[in-house]
Amino acid sequence: MEYTKTDVLLKVKDVNLFYGTKQILRDINFEIKDIVRPGMKQGQVVSLIGRSGIGKTQLFRILAGLGKPSSGTVTISKDKPVKAGDMGVVFQNYYLFEWRTVYTSLELAAKKNPALKGKEKEAIYKYAEDFNLTEHLKRYPKELSGGQRQRASIIQQMLNGTDFLLLDEPFSGLDILVLDRVVELLLDVSLSDELKTLIIVSHDIGTSVAISDTVYVLGHEEGKPGATIKKEIDLCARDLAWKKNIRTEKAFIDTLQEIKAEL
Amino acid sequence: MKHIFRPFGRVDRTTLAIMIVGQIILALLFWHLTSNGLIPKPLQVGKALGALLFSRLLWDNIIISVLLTVKAMAIAVIITLFFSYLSVLPFFHTIARFLVKCRYLTLTGFIFIFTLLTQNGGQLKLSLLIFGIVPFFVTSFLAVIISTERQQYELCKTLGYTNWETLYEVVIVGKADQVFEIVRQNFAISWLMITLVEGYSMGEGGIGTLLIKYNKYNDLTNVISIQIVIFLLGLLFDYLLGTLKVWFLPYSKFESQPL
Ligand SMILES: Nc1ncnc2c1ncn2[C@@H]1O[C@H](COP(=O)(O)OP(=O)(O)O)[C@@H](O)[C@H]1O
Ligand SMILES: [Mg+2]
Repeated sequence: MEYTKTDVLLKVKDVNLFYGTKQILRDINFEIKDIVRPGMKQGQVVSLIGRSGIGKTQLFRILAGLGKPSSGTVTISKDKPVKAGDMGVVFQNYYLFEWRTVYTSLELAAKKNPALKGKEKEAIYKYAEDFNLTEHLKRYPKELSGGQRQRASIIQQMLNGTDFLLLDEPFSGLDILVLDRVVELLLDVSLSDELKTLIIVSHDIGTSVAISDTVYVLGHEEGKPGATIKKEIDLCARDLAWKKNIRTEKAFIDTLQEIKAEL
Repeated sequence: MKHIFRPFGRVDRTTLAIMIVGQIILALLFWHLTSNGLIPKPLQVGKALGALLFSRLLWDNIIISVLLTVKAMAIAVIITLFFSYLSVLPFFHTIARFLVKCRYLTLTGFIFIFTLLTQNGGQLKLSLLIFGIVPFFVTSFLAVIISTERQQYELCKTLGYTNWETLYEVVIVGKADQVFEIVRQNFAISWLMITLVEGYSMGEGGIGTLLIKYNKYNDLTNVISIQIVIFLLGLLFDYLLGTLKVWFLPYSKFESQPL
């Protein structure tokens, strides 16, 4: 498959995180580059995989600009330090304003996006349609199922209009059918714009690998404190990216084994 | 039926109704059997209550007390909200914390000062009542603000809200249901204070004055009747505030029922 990796979209440099004297993250370095495929609006899907408690959520918060690392930097669009608001952020528990109906929540997000000025309503209904949420727009979050909440939360963050969409454990707690649907939706999102970049933080190796073009494995190195990136897997190079029914391929299964060995 | 003695047991509506009626009958029976010559029996109180309910005297005094309470609570809510909303600004935070500590001041010590500061008995009562309620309101509301989950603020940040927009969304709009809940929970305290405050200035009347008068003449039957009226009015307000909350803020009906 033909593709090139060009501009750096996001750069994480020498990130360390301590809580007191306890090191959670150590020397995290990686870059996300714009993947260009001829004749397509191919966005990026990057997964950060690691065991529970390894520090994924902490790294997620740093990437989102919600938490500061003890040292190191996260920069986007040519060396601009990331700050909250630069990225769409879907929290692990699909947080929404409990006192707003889904529609109002989405409207508030859309109003923050200058690109949608005057077209907020259209955009909301378009997304709601795509995400199967139209009939729930008038409801309050407490009336939604986990999967519906998640979709509402994703739409809310997409209306924001940022290139990046960060998702913390988007595959946990969903049943198989809903999971498939979410994977499909995320892939659609990644194809909606050349610069669209999804960063998925997850412990679900299979789903993460199936959906991504690049995977970073977060783990502990023998005798050293804190979690760091132990492995970078370029799924495009292995010809495992952007394929349907990938899960049965041998190369895919081998890759999963390879990742498991690092966790 | 056997569920009523089981931990976390659930009972249906009819069982519940039967159970409550049974409990009331038991309580009345206990009262009837244990009351001696000095304490009036339930039937006597019932008769007095009946007579009282049909008297102008009672209703006139109730209206005076209710109006005073509602007025004091309304002003207290405004003061509370002002300081609590702004408590997220460091300057106002200290003031709000100070108001909270004012719970420990008793009203009695302030009567003289307030008498000097106010022009008449009505004003005296109103200001005493407000001064009495505000610390409790502020205490409850600050607790609500402090317990706000970090993620509510973070969601605002990710959506690109400024700090003032976040204050508006999370604290003002997001906590509106809690304002109702706090008024409701603290209504009991205001209602308790009204009888106290009315004692300081008897001229305008009110249900507290009525109670004090009957107490003075050792008219225990009427004292208990009025206590029952006060109790029922409290329940009525509790119910009204609960209903208004759900009416104005439909989402609040999804929350679990408080006591
Ligand atoms: N506020 C905190 N203070 C101290 N340690 C923390 C704090 N938050 C998280 N940790 C620790 O950081 C580590 C990583 O947590 P987290 O990022 O939530 O893991 P996960 O990979 O499951 O998302 C855990 O060992 C946790 O105990
Ligand atoms: Mg986590």
